[in-house]
Amino acid sequence: MGNVESINSPNGILVIGGGMSGLTAAIEAAEVGYGVFLVEESPYLGGRVARANKYFPKLCAPYCGLEINFRRIKTNPKIKVFTLAQVENITGKEGDYDVTVKLNPRLVNDNCTACGKCAEVCLVERPNDYNFGLDKTKAAYLTNLMAFPLKYVIDTKVCLGAECAKCVSACQYQAIDLGMSAESLHMKVGSIVLATGWKPYDATRLDNLGYGKYPNVITNVIMERLAAADGPTQGKIVRPSDGKEVKSIAFVQCAGSRDQNHLPYCSGVCCMGSLKQCTYVKDQSPETKVSIFYIDVRALGLLEDFLQRVQGIEGVTLVRGKVAKIEEDPATKNLILQAEDTAAGEKIKESFEMVVLATGMVPNTVEAKIPGNLVYDNYGFVAADAAGVYAAGCVRRPTDVSTSVQDGTRAALKAIQSIVRRGANG
Amino acid sequence: MSPAVPDKETVDIIREMGGGTLKICYQCGTCTGTCPWNLVRTFLPRRMMHRAQLGLIDFGDKDIWTCATCGACAVRCPRGVEMIDVIRAMRKVIAEMGVAKVPDSLRVSVKNISYVGNPQGEPEKERGSWAQDLGVKPFAPGTELLYYTCCIPAFDAKVRRIARATVGILNKVGIDYGVLGAKERCCGESVRKSGNETIFQELAKGNIQAFAESGVKRVVVNSPHCYHTFKKEYPELGAEFEVIHLSQLLDQLIREGKLKFSKEIKKKVIYHDPCYLGRHNEIYDEPRRVLQAIPGVQLMEFQSSRKSSVCCGGGGGRVWMETPKEERFCDLRLKEAIDAGADVLAVACPYCMLMFDDSLLSIGKESTIEIKDISELVLEAL
Repeated sequence: MGNVESINSPNGILVIGGGMSGLTAAIEAAEVGYGVFLVEESPYLGGRVARANKYFPKLCAPYCGLEINFRRIKTNPKIKVFTLAQVENITGKEGDYDVTVKLNPRLVNDNCTACGKCAEVCLVERPNDYNFGLDKTKAAYLTNLMAFPLKYVIDTKVCLGAECAKCVSACQYQAIDLGMSAESLHMKVGSIVLATGWKPYDATRLDNLGYGKYPNVITNVIMERLAAADGPTQGKIVRPSDGKEVKSIAFVQCAGSRDQNHLPYCSGVCCMGSLKQCTYVKDQSPETKVSIFYIDVRALGLLEDFLQRVQGIEGVTLVRGKVAKIEEDPATKNLILQAEDTAAGEKIKESFEMVVLATGMVPNTVEAKIPGNLVYDNYGFVAADAAGVYAAGCVRRPTDVSTSVQDGTRAALKAIQSIVRRGANG
Repeated sequence: MSPAVPDKETVDIIREMGGGTLKICYQCGTCTGTCPWNLVRTFLPRRMMHRAQLGLIDFGDKDIWTCATCGACAVRCPRGVEMIDVIRAMRKVIAEMGVAKVPDSLRVSVKNISYVGNPQGEPEKERGSWAQDLGVKPFAPGTELLYYTCCIPAFDAKVRRIARATVGILNKVGIDYGVLGAKERCCGESVRKSGNETIFQELAKGNIQAFAESGVKRVVVNSPHCYHTFKKEYPELGAEFEVIHLSQLLDQLIREGKLKFSKEIKKKVIYHDPCYLGRHNEIYDEPRRVLQAIPGVQLMEFQSSRKSSVCCGGGGGRVWMETPKEERFCDLRLKEAIDAGADVLAVACPYCMLMFDDSLLSIGKESTIEIKDISELVLEAL
């Protein structure tokens, strides 16, 4: 592995994670005047927010906010962005961190204009992880139309390499370099913001709810892609099994959440997420029957208004009862839900064409903890910052987008204070 | 209608009787949605928990006796409410404090157990007579293994075939084992689940003493109910013996090469997980491995198996109570096995056998499918 030129920035801030929290922390710190190095594992910035269809409660598109942030990055020389980059090692202490970052090869350089000629000629297809495998891309692909940086990327795992090289000859800008290899970057920074985000709880572990077994049981994050105009179905909410428009749909709240067998905590956003997704369904097809099965609807503070709005939509029913079991009718691929309507004291056995499991958030720090003295709670969330290392967003607790923005700002302030305080003392 | 007033005293009694986890129930209804009774009728365990939380239990409610303690709800409960303990506590209030009537058939069975050590009310001295012609040795100090015969195989004319097949295997393999005959009494597992704590304690202490006096170190059982109480409840009362279920022993013997099959059984065999072997004790693989090891057997699975297995309806004392014909979910299970094309429904529990044998008669499909214990199948193939 080759090395790229080291960075020596004792007053600089390393931000790990380019999602909403990390982006915010990076931009806020840079706009105060500090050098920021933003390291993101995937080929694009925006994280899970980029893959959402709409924000609640305003129901505007995430790219509205992301675009503003991308422009702030572009116009600020203080921020250096590394995509396809992974932090491999951190040593040292507050004010003097030695960080090793692995830069994975994009196989596409800065000449790229995103014209798409490479993908046109590319021979290999891969499941599109951005859309949870619901469609495919070529090995040379653009993650999404609004991607930042707006550059294609070639999946090294499936690319046929030099023996094919059709993309190299198709590209008019000499933007493709199949010889790129991983490189190692060393940097010295003063403080660190940890914003590695979350992943949805693994729904295949909910063996009573049929995800992974029945094609028409999907999860809330997949629903966002199904409803998104740049998603696998161009925004049409249809059943994975047969592409049919959905005439009845059930949302299963607390799919694994508040459950000692799975995630004992409440993720706090899934209720609002499902209420929001009700509006996606109803906007497309007002006659579709929508039921939400819940234990308690957690729409806190002003979000109560949104709950009332959705409750008022004709054909939306909220049923107080946790879904205990989902079975598939093999003939129709419809799903039969078993629950109790606990308010009425009646057992329910009802059929729906599609089911959305509202799965909760698992912090990525469960699997990947960074070296240092951060304190984690029983569920893997960062419970306390360490001197010089500050956590932001969903690694601290499950949060919605606007709270992540506030949390990113908090972390930026803490990281700056760490640098300034040492300057004053030393 | 006037508002109901919570009765704290009743709540305290249920909690003292062992229903301590009652308070953490958050009323989501997962138990109702999971309970097998809802396949055949409406039964709302969630509402029962709610009423118990408020102390508004009607102890005369027949549904207190409905639960078969299969544990399907408890393994799914997001809060870890021990539903079976709560129900057992309510039954205890009735059985031990006499606040309401115990169902007649249950009362008679428990009384029989209390007097003669078996629910059938058979003479104690006859407990070993199933083995008369089989050359089974009485357990003597130094014998390696005790075969403890559950009351059902010991006395029930039809289920006796499990005991006979079991010793048939043990004899062929040449294991050093013996039986206690009249010295052993009912294990008391279902006695305890139906609220009769005092009688359970007497049974357990009697068996523990009898085992200790005879020098028993290791026990093999057919019934997952015996297994459960020996493994999980007897140690608290001073038991020091090791217990193993027959399926575990067979699996071990097959793996060690001590049990070799010489015949083929060319049949489709569907295995039914007994609740007390599966969910309660997480023994899922051993019986399956044993069945798969039999030459010719094609092992099939129910739609709902392992952790999601549907109860036969015989646990929690239900085996001694009457269930209306149209409410036997055991029938549904048997029909599923028949529809799936199985030749044999394999069980690993005498209660399951009793229940399925009944179902087979009542739905009139004796010529379509056989009910067999895994011990019978193994013996046939030896």
